[in-house]
Amino acid sequence: MDKYDVIIAGCGPCGAMAARAAAKAGAKVLALDRRKELGAPVRCGEGIGLHWMDELGLKMNPKAVSAEINGSVLVSPDWKRRVVIRNKETKGFVVDRKVFDKDLAIEAGRCGADISVHSEVYDVIKEGGKIAGVKAIVDGKKHEFHAPVVIAADGGESTIARLAGLNTTATLYDTDFGVEYEMVNVDCVDLIEVYFSNADAPRGYVWIFPKGKDVANVGVGIGGLHAPNAKYYLDKWIKAHPERLGKAKTVAIKGGIIPVGAPMTDEAVGEGIIAAGTAAHQVDPIHGGGICLAMEAGKIAGEVAAKNALAKTCDRAHLLEYAEIYKKVREPKLLKRLKLRKVLEKLSDDDFNAIFHHLDDKDIDNLLKSNFAAVVGKMTSLLITKPGLIKTMSGLL
Amino acid sequence: MIEVNKNLCIYCGACVGVCPVLANRLRETWIDHDPQKCIDCGICPKACPVAAITLHKGKKSL
Ligand SMILES: Cc1cc2nc3c(=O)[nH]c(=O)nc-3n(C[C@H](O)[C@H](O)[C@H](O)COP(=O)(O)OP(=O)(O)OC[C@H]3O[C@@H](n4cnc5c(N)ncnc54)[C@H](O)[C@@H]3O)c2cc1C
Ligand code: SF4
Ligand code: SF4
Repeated sequence: MDKYDVIIAGCGPCGAMAARAAAKAGAKVLALDRRKELGAPVRCGEGIGLHWMDELGLKMNPKAVSAEINGSVLVSPDWKRRVVIRNKETKGFVVDRKVFDKDLAIEAGRCGADISVHSEVYDVIKEGGKIAGVKAIVDGKKHEFHAPVVIAADGGESTIARLAGLNTTATLYDTDFGVEYEMVNVDCVDLIEVYFSNADAPRGYVWIFPKGKDVANVGVGIGGLHAPNAKYYLDKWIKAHPERLGKAKTVAIKGGIIPVGAPMTDEAVGEGIIAAGTAAHQVDPIHGGGICLAMEAGKIAGEVAAKNALAKTCDRAHLLEYAEIYKKVREPKLLKRLKLRKVLEKLSDDDFNAIFHHLDDKDIDNLLKSNFAAVVGKMTSLLITKPGLIKTMSGLL
Repeated sequence: MIEVNKNLCIYCGACVGVCPVLANRLRETWIDHDPQKCIDCGICPKACPVAAITLHKGKKSL
């Protein structure tokens, strides 16, 4: 029987950061991941904002960077407005998750955490109403690992938290589903492209994220209540735009689940268990980005878990400190963006076009940053000419 | 129960995350479906981004 202070199920960005933080805090840590090769297969657009590196106190490994990004282009449904935003928030990277994720695990290992790959967690161990460890298949053999606290960092599947009794099931309404092709022969500059249209990508958007030279991730995410499926919309969009992607060839297919509802806080904590990252729906409700949010939550979870494991206080009441910190540092921002998502998803393409044509680039930037106060004046003058929009937009202003 | 077309599946895990009764488990590159747990709710075929899932209502084996 193997005993640890903190066990982490899933070693993606969230789990690796949790492992690193817990090991640094002096805990004996084990992070298990089903994958043989961390980061592969990729299920992600791989875009990361530069500002996150400062916020997380990390340096980007140049080897993990596929392309440096200096801004974004937001395109209206009629393609007549292209809003280019170049500022601190839109600077960043498109990374190679196969390198990026493994690199985070390497750092966790350097900090002393045990990493066990090819290790699928298939159940949790319960003792006296508390989670006391996990059961895993390691290299084909069943093993039990014990610890007073388990961090569920298994991403959108979120199996481990649910086995532990937390309700993290993704609902169709609050979840986007995405498909993405990595393509070559795509004209790219140093900007990520985002195409809004509730007809082409209902409740989501189409993206082109450059991966260096003429290679890009081209993807679509759609809301779960929209039929038929993400691949249908992506294939249709590519076919409809030969001027943009006529010569493009697909070299990889990626896809996945993106919970875009409210991030979980108190509900992500139980007796001896914390769910973090995408497993706890800690994802940006508008663009679906979740790599760095997962890293942030992982770090908090790792620190709180280590502290309480060493103090032998892994009951829910103590572990709730994780939720309290999350509510201070991140939840309010995400809830504001959830509010905006719920407005954007109701807009028709005519509404979208009207907004794009009425607002200048700075206004659009402010709107998408949920800086609603800055655009009230402009939006009011638009609503006077388009009274039909008032009801939809009233959720914001 | 559901049936996953292994030739279409890109093992993305979406059908795992949405299943209210944990009837789906992503192994390395395939979905293990447990027909005994499945309640035929029809959610996972809607979630699958590549239309790899067929729902066989009322069936417990193929
Ligand atoms: C199509 C698509 C595009 C996206 N684009 C972007 C983007 O451009 N930028 C961005 O920031 N975010 C993007 N996201 C979201 C981003 O991928 C996730 O939010 C991020 O990966 C979450 O990190 P995580 O560590 O919480 O989970 P994951 O990265 O999913 O890691 C979970 C880990 O747990 C492991 N695991 C799962 N189950 C088990 C088990 N039972 N036992 C052991 N190990 C297990 C997995 O193998 C995996 O390594 C996108 C998502 C999708 C689907
Ligand atoms: S049909 Fe419903 S119960 Fe059955 S596997 Fe799919 S989501 Fe789960
Ligand atoms: S949702 Fe579809 S593509 Fe994804 S793992 Fe399930 S069956 Fe495969």
